[in-house]
Amino acid sequence: METKQFVMIGIAIALVIAVAAPFLASGNPDGLESAFFSIHDAKPFMGSDLDEEAAAAAEEQAVAATGNEFSFEALMPDYSIPGLDKTGEVLAVVLGTLLMLALVYGIARVAARPDN
Amino acid sequence: MHIPDFMFPVAQGLVYWVIALIFIVLALRWARHSMGEEKVPLVAVLAAGIFAIQALNIPIPWGTSGHMVGAALAAIVLGSPFAGVFVLTLVLLVQGVIFGDGGIIAMGANIINMGVIGGFVGYYSYTAITSMTGNSYAAAFVAGWASLFISAILCAVELAIAGTFPLVAGLTFMGTYHAVIGLIEGGITAFALYLIASARPDILEHPRGVST
Repeated sequence: METKQFVMIGIAIALVIAVAAPFLASGNPDGLESAFFSIHDAKPFMGSDLDEEAAAAAEEQAVAATGNEFSFEALMPDYSIPGLDKTGEVLAVVLGTLLMLALVYGIARVAARPDN
Repeated sequence: MHIPDFMFPVAQGLVYWVIALIFIVLALRWARHSMGEEKVPLVAVLAAGIFAIQALNIPIPWGTSGHMVGAALAAIVLGSPFAGVFVLTLVLLVQGVIFGDGGIIAMGANIINMGVIGGFVGYYSYTAITSMTGNSYAAAFVAGWASLFISAILCAVELAIAGTFPLVAGLTFMGTYHAVIGLIEGGITAFALYLIASARPDILEHPRGVST
């Protein structure tokens, strides 16, 4: 397979995943969040019921323990665009994928071993 | 496994940032010496694909979900643990800054856990198992699983030091969830390696079936 074709197929696969992800992705807490919530009694270890109030309290407790109150408004928080629902999520992941492609291409070009 | 800022004291975050920066410099040196210009499009596509698949959380039992990290895959395909550091640093940077996924102060720790540990554990378990068994796909599966599981164990230790988790509970919970999430990492790593090896066997630094 030609390199160009290989790269194009790779980009196509990445974009298909990016478009599908907002529809297929599970909204469950990830492993780290689940562990955090379970340890702080906001969720049973082997169960799925999340107690939102206890989860918020656990977060406050962690902020108190670490003293780290740093936070900022991300441009597209949690892979979404405020006010755009599903469309915004698809756009966010697609834009992120294209940004990765351009950014890494640029940086890798500068960082790579020159061939000549 | 992206640690948000509130789980980490600032001083501890800065210490991990310093360690992460050392590995980033080493990764840039690797790129200068060993990442040929012809690899640039592959690196960019791998990073974009890893970013996209990280947004795809797959449900596991116990109301939990997990997603692929991809450092092991990058390291295996590009033939160096530093490739995992290189790609994951950029993925985590974009995720943290643009999408608020993973902290800024905690980003050094996330780079260490996912990029450094993922890349090194993934790469060296892959080469060891490939040379022992000759089966590079089985090796990629185990390497993916181990890279994720060990990352999670280190993450639990860091959060115990941070005072966010008690150590034993953290190890138990993080270990249990990520032992399962590791199956996703292993499966996709082996499958992606199969696709790349089938399309372009020449592009792999260590062709499948050939021991290193």
